[in-house]
Amino acid sequence: MRIVHFLNQFFGGLGGEEKANAEVQVFDGPVGPGRALQRSLGDNDEIVATIVSGDNYFNEEKTRAVAAVEKALSTYKPDAVVAGPALNAGRYGLACGEVCVIAQRMGIAAVTGMFPENPGVLEYGRRAYIVPTGETPTEIAKQLDAMAKLALKLARGEEMGPADAEGYIPRGIRKAGLRDEPGAVRAVSMLAARLHGRPYKTELPIEMPEGIEPAAPFVDVTTANVALVTTGGLVPKGNPDRLVRGGAKEYFKYSIAGLDSMTPEKWECVHRGFYTDIVNENPNYILPLNIIRQLEGQGEIGKIYDLYFSTSGVGTTVADSKRLGEEIAREMKEARVDACVMVAT
Amino acid sequence: MAKEIERAGIPCSLISALFSLALTTGAPRVVRGARIEHVCGDPRLGSEKDREYGMRIVRTALKAIQTEVAGPTLFDPADPEPVKEASLAA
Repeated sequence: MRIVHFLNQFFGGLGGEEKANAEVQVFDGPVGPGRALQRSLGDNDEIVATIVSGDNYFNEEKTRAVAAVEKALSTYKPDAVVAGPALNAGRYGLACGEVCVIAQRMGIAAVTGMFPENPGVLEYGRRAYIVPTGETPTEIAKQLDAMAKLALKLARGEEMGPADAEGYIPRGIRKAGLRDEPGAVRAVSMLAARLHGRPYKTELPIEMPEGIEPAAPFVDVTTANVALVTTGGLVPKGNPDRLVRGGAKEYFKYSIAGLDSMTPEKWECVHRGFYTDIVNENPNYILPLNIIRQLEGQGEIGKIYDLYFSTSGVGTTVADSKRLGEEIAREMKEARVDACVMVAT
Repeated sequence: MAKEIERAGIPCSLISALFSLALTTGAPRVVRGARIEHVCGDPRLGSEKDREYGMRIVRTALKAIQTEVAGPTLFDPADPEPVKEASLAA
């Protein structure tokens, strides 16, 4: 079998966040974790090429990135594509999902691996085979092994069994088949198990992002008390509260009273999930105080709330994000905030 | 976070370069940002045009706050008039 492996700039050895804008590049043979992947493949299977893309490039220049991946796949004509694993890296997960979709469209088997909370699962979980992984690469050899096994099986054209038997994240697909007991009996057994507190397993798991009722609009923003939030990890220079660079479980608030702009002398960005040099030269890119203060002066906004809320939005779990949102909302309510502008990096 | 703030009754414009993801997660008022590394502007435009672009983004965020939405909706600073209704991925 001919295999093509897809990696981001970090695992592909180009560099860290400073290389996140790197264009799609193709290398012959395995690169980085591809060597471990090669060991998981059979003797007659070969990683013929590795496609590497910067995380930002893939998501921001998607049309070009997709074209470059298509071109590489038509050149190397693989039997299967293995992407990642992307673990809990969001932009990487979105890229890996898209690469799988491209490959499948070209009739090529494709498998990726992600932490179940990776945004890529939300976006591509119904269209791609995704092996569940941890958040970090500590068990990457084992994960690549599972991905290789699945990719080869798909490439051989063998029938794929259900998600929990084959070890991929459920795609929400139901196949017709015969069960030992009719539905009514199964439903009653499940209900009985539930009432008795015994373990049971739903036959139809529903995992959609929770829907919410949007707030009513604040009709006249010229009279509004507007609060600013950033998930860009913007803190006073020196990071006095030691906001973590990722996986945050807390937020902090800082006064912007009397300030016209966020200046690089007084503020810094501690986010680990993107290249921060541009923001560190001009923090207004993740908290547009310069512009919003001007609008306040022109009467287009009633008032800017004196404190802004800050966290570093990378690698934070959905549950923690929800709690942080609830806590911030509570503070805003107490402070009689009418509306909010949030910047997410 | 934006969803919880909205749920509490405070309209919240979420400016993001990864706007399609923001819509998928169910944020009601999403504003298309420039890029991940400079969400509210673009230094490559030069300071005057950069400021105009940032102004357009922030004004779009203010417009979103003042607009009634039924579900995840994209507000694009490139075309401030038509508001695109985005549906959750099927």
